[in-house]
Amino acid sequence: MNLDSKIPSGPLTQKWENHIANLKLVNPANKRKYTVIVVGTGLAGASAAASLAELGYNVKAFFIHDSPRRAHSIAAQGGINAAKNYPNDGDTVWRLFYDTIKGGDYRAREANVYRLAHLSTAIIDQCVAQGVPFAREYSGELANRSFGGAQVSRTFYARGQTGQQLLLGAYQAMLRQVDAGKVTMYPRREMLDLVLKDGRAEGIVARDLVTGKIERHAAHAVVLCTGGYGRVFYLSTNAMNSNATAAWRCHRKGAAFANPCFTQIHPTCIPVAGEHAQSKLTLMSESLRNDGRVWVPKRKEDAKKHPSEIKDEDRDYYLERKYPSFGNLVPRDVASRNAKDVCDEGRGVGSSGLSVYLDFRDAIKRDGENVIREKYGNLFDMYHRITDENPYQVPMRMYPAVHYTMGGLWVDYNLMSNIPGLHVLGEANFSDHGANRLGASALMQGLCDGYFVIPYTIGHYLAQVGAFKLDSESSEFKAAEAAVNNEIKRLMTVNEKGKRTVNEFYKDLGKIMWDKVGMARNEAGLKSAISEIQKMRAEYGENLKIGGNSSELNKNLEMASRVGDFLELGELMARDALMRKESCGGHFREESQTPDGEADRDDANFSFVGAWEYKGANAEPALHKENLVFENVKPSQRSYK
Amino acid sequence: MSQNISVKVKVWRQDGPQATGQFESFDLSGISTDMSFLEMLDTLNEQLLKEGKRPVEFDSDCREGICGSCGCMINGMAHGPERGATVCQLHMRSFKNGQTIVVEPWRATAFPVIKDLVVDRSAFDRIIAAGGYVSVKSGRHADANVMLVPKDTAEKAMDVAQCIGCGACVAACPNASASLFTGAKITHLALLPQGKVEAARRVQRMTDQMDSEGFGGCTNIGECLAACPKEIKMEAIVSMRREFIKGAFAEPPRQAGSDNA
Amino acid sequence: MLPKIFSSSVFKKILMSLTGFGLVGFLITHLIGNANLYRSGSDPFNTYAAKLHSLGPILEVAEIGLLGMFVLHIVTALQLKFRSRNARQDRYAVNASKKGPSKSGFISQNMALSGLLILAFVVLHVKQLHFGPGMDAGYVTNVTGESTRDIHRLVVETFSDPLNVALYVAAMIVLGLHLRHGFWSAFQSLGLTCERSSKALYIASGLLAALIAGGFLFMPIWIYFGVQS
Repeated sequence: MNLDSKIPSGPLTQKWENHIANLKLVNPANKRKYTVIVVGTGLAGASAAASLAELGYNVKAFFIHDSPRRAHSIAAQGGINAAKNYPNDGDTVWRLFYDTIKGGDYRAREANVYRLAHLSTAIIDQCVAQGVPFAREYSGELANRSFGGAQVSRTFYARGQTGQQLLLGAYQAMLRQVDAGKVTMYPRREMLDLVLKDGRAEGIVARDLVTGKIERHAAHAVVLCTGGYGRVFYLSTNAMNSNATAAWRCHRKGAAFANPCFTQIHPTCIPVAGEHAQSKLTLMSESLRNDGRVWVPKRKEDAKKHPSEIKDEDRDYYLERKYPSFGNLVPRDVASRNAKDVCDEGRGVGSSGLSVYLDFRDAIKRDGENVIREKYGNLFDMYHRITDENPYQVPMRMYPAVHYTMGGLWVDYNLMSNIPGLHVLGEANFSDHGANRLGASALMQGLCDGYFVIPYTIGHYLAQVGAFKLDSESSEFKAAEAAVNNEIKRLMTVNEKGKRTVNEFYKDLGKIMWDKVGMARNEAGLKSAISEIQKMRAEYGENLKIGGNSSELNKNLEMASRVGDFLELGELMARDALMRKESCGGHFREESQTPDGEADRDDANFSFVGAWEYKGANAEPALHKENLVFENVKPSQRSYK
Repeated sequence: MSQNISVKVKVWRQDGPQATGQFESFDLSGISTDMSFLEMLDTLNEQLLKEGKRPVEFDSDCREGICGSCGCMINGMAHGPERGATVCQLHMRSFKNGQTIVVEPWRATAFPVIKDLVVDRSAFDRIIAAGGYVSVKSGRHADANVMLVPKDTAEKAMDVAQCIGCGACVAACPNASASLFTGAKITHLALLPQGKVEAARRVQRMTDQMDSEGFGGCTNIGECLAACPKEIKMEAIVSMRREFIKGAFAEPPRQAGSDNA
Repeated sequence: MLPKIFSSSVFKKILMSLTGFGLVGFLITHLIGNANLYRSGSDPFNTYAAKLHSLGPILEVAEIGLLGMFVLHIVTALQLKFRSRNARQDRYAVNASKKGPSKSGFISQNMALSGLLILAFVVLHVKQLHFGPGMDAGYVTNVTGESTRDIHRLVVETFSDPLNVALYVAAMIVLGLHLRHGFWSAFQSLGLTCERSSKALYIASGLLAALIAGGFLFMPIWIYFGVQS
């Protein structure tokens, strides 16, 4: 497998400019001869579809929802980073680059991360030009806030709905191209296979989710923007329909899957409420940690007491105790892991014992309830609505939840996977966040890829392959279609005798993943996860109950194929975690920690991207390594003490 | 505190766009009041699957009130009895033990039912496609701080820009009008200097599209305001009319055309 | 072909507002003129009527204008009503208001019904009084130095019938309810309100509706009970 990252030569700060100068161009008059398929319409997909159509390419946009605006980017709350340095507090492109690469625990490529930081400022200009209503100062200039423990205020935001506003901006730009006839939308379509011809990606097979019809769509290139795979854990902050199927089907066709074990667990989520059929978890913005104090009782016996009955001296403000300089503002992975540790010790609170307090008592005493209400009112209301507890009176209860996946399909500097023609953008690729993503950087990456990278790099690819004649009647297309049809037929056959519902399997998978491939991992747990998942996969192939039929809208059938893919992906994640015998970022191996329990990274042996090659449904995947070279920053141990 | 209740769910079942639908009632017990309404429907669906029956189809995605996927009429109210919330944010503690809950899809000619509670809201996308944007291309633009926007104006724009496109306004409106949805986008862009440039063309094209989708006219009843999960105000519709009148005195819109190569 | 704008539902609401305002204007002048009925004797009212009719062609133009507005108001309303009907062909089995900012209620949802009732009343009213027995039927008086129609007598006779009184009172209640939503609604449709003025206008609209409906409503009662003489 060829993992050439194609990182341009030259000094870091000039790599992108140099690269653009060397990219091949498609003549403006010829662009209309090309068709590009974009799968997914979140920040990356919608911005890519709009940008490519504006250039003159014909774009076919596929999405599983009824409207492009439903993509899960819409739910991002906090903000988007950009090195504008408007607040004059010392931010530079270099600092954003450095923070991102350090925050990612030195498991990302320097060149990609620098490009991201470099282009970040253009994203803000672009969004403002589109009419995104960012928060403003009284001067009429844009407002910034510090986010996720960053030392500078570089986060732009639109209330707690930044993702929504940015996505609507991209969505509107995309619909402008629909109006202009350059983008054709395919709503409620799910990509179920990638079609290769002579080793190149030349189209997809998709299922019309309303009629069940399988369709063949040919294109000169495919751009995959299908988001992350956090739903492999069943409970996560991701949306119900977020899935890995499109990416996984590409992986099966030969695309390398890089760093699958790198998942981000967000520390402040509303905990699981009890034994009822909880379907997902809700994230509470990280900004709450600016004023809330995290604690659990010092003694196990106090865990079931009402918080007001626990005296100050009996409370353990463990983040403040262990990390005096960062306190409650330690990075996400550190905060999450510590919450798990205290709960494992039996000091967790709430009926399940799986939550920690996030207490605003002192902040309310210090600033007054009105100030707190102004800052966090909508979050407090949201919490109140979900839990029926009033956070102005009792401390909030929080627990970490899966939030984002840094791993994804391997891509080179051009955002092209190892399959020529298949480009992967946004959360679906692995490229920019290393082993841990900083807050407010996901939106930045999605839009950067879609607005400012793919428009350049796809032209380079298209100019080389030329505007060949599209043919969705080819044997390759027909074979892919038949395979998809057979797979659905197989599922519906299993369904006739099956006893366990998709959801029952899915929950079991989630439990295995959370317990053994979650916040802390060890060799024995990972090995048992692999064997348990394998057992489950076998049962899944025989005892699955789906209901309905395949020629109509059938959400259980959709879930059945997604969960089938999650089962395979979950196994790969466990393998990847098992292989990576170090702790870095969101990946914590219990065997690899410092004496005081912090992550112990092993740069000598693991400074590489682990890219996995699919070898068959029941064969062991092959690992390929792309070594990470650090020429501009020196990897150091993260310390937040 | 959480407790378990029993409810009778009377839900609309319709096999497909052309099929005739009818209500079907189900008894559910052991429903935790901590459950969200959609989790109650999930539970019902698991029960139906076990009984070998077809589950109730409904749209839902983020389950935190922002994606706009979910939505149905619950006891005659769009998104159910709670104000400023979507169905996914509605919890079973809003219902009493033994209560009958009537669940219907959004009903509007412009929102045809696809199956059960799932409706086709693509009319909204077509309204946005008719001008709900600023016609800038991806690329280099002036620095974001070159054009100042008063804080208050930005806040007002955000008030309307936060529409989630769920369709509750249409569903709740006695006229099935899409004025709140359309007005929200027109108002958002008309407030900001970036959007003012093409305001006249936008309002004419978008309201024309709204009409041709078959939505009803607004009679200022304001049921949409009560149903809107983002509590968008009447000002969105009033300002749409203002923009319409201003636009009527502007030059007629040119033929819509592509500016692409 | 008419410019496209005329077919817009937003434009139609503007038309509804403008004609509605015109009709409210008429109602106010009509009320002020008819207030002469509250004065003692038949002279003040007959004098007013005679003066009005002496305007000749001006009055005729005004009447045609009024009729035009009235017809336009009704036709546009019906067009909008049919649009709404078509916009939701399948009704809800259960429907309830979420209250709060909503002004949903029987009145606001049935403006077409109240409008049609008012139309029926206007036809009756014009037939009874405007086209009722005139000078050739002996309804003659002399208030301005020459013979004019004794409209006062006709009014008094009409309202001596309790059925007519009940009918007129009922019609005025319907009118009041129609104006209650309609007057305020017209400001919204013309884009003339903001959040605060809208609230004030809603109250003002209620007051105006009460004033107009009340002003007319007491006339038949006043006359029936002979308070005047």
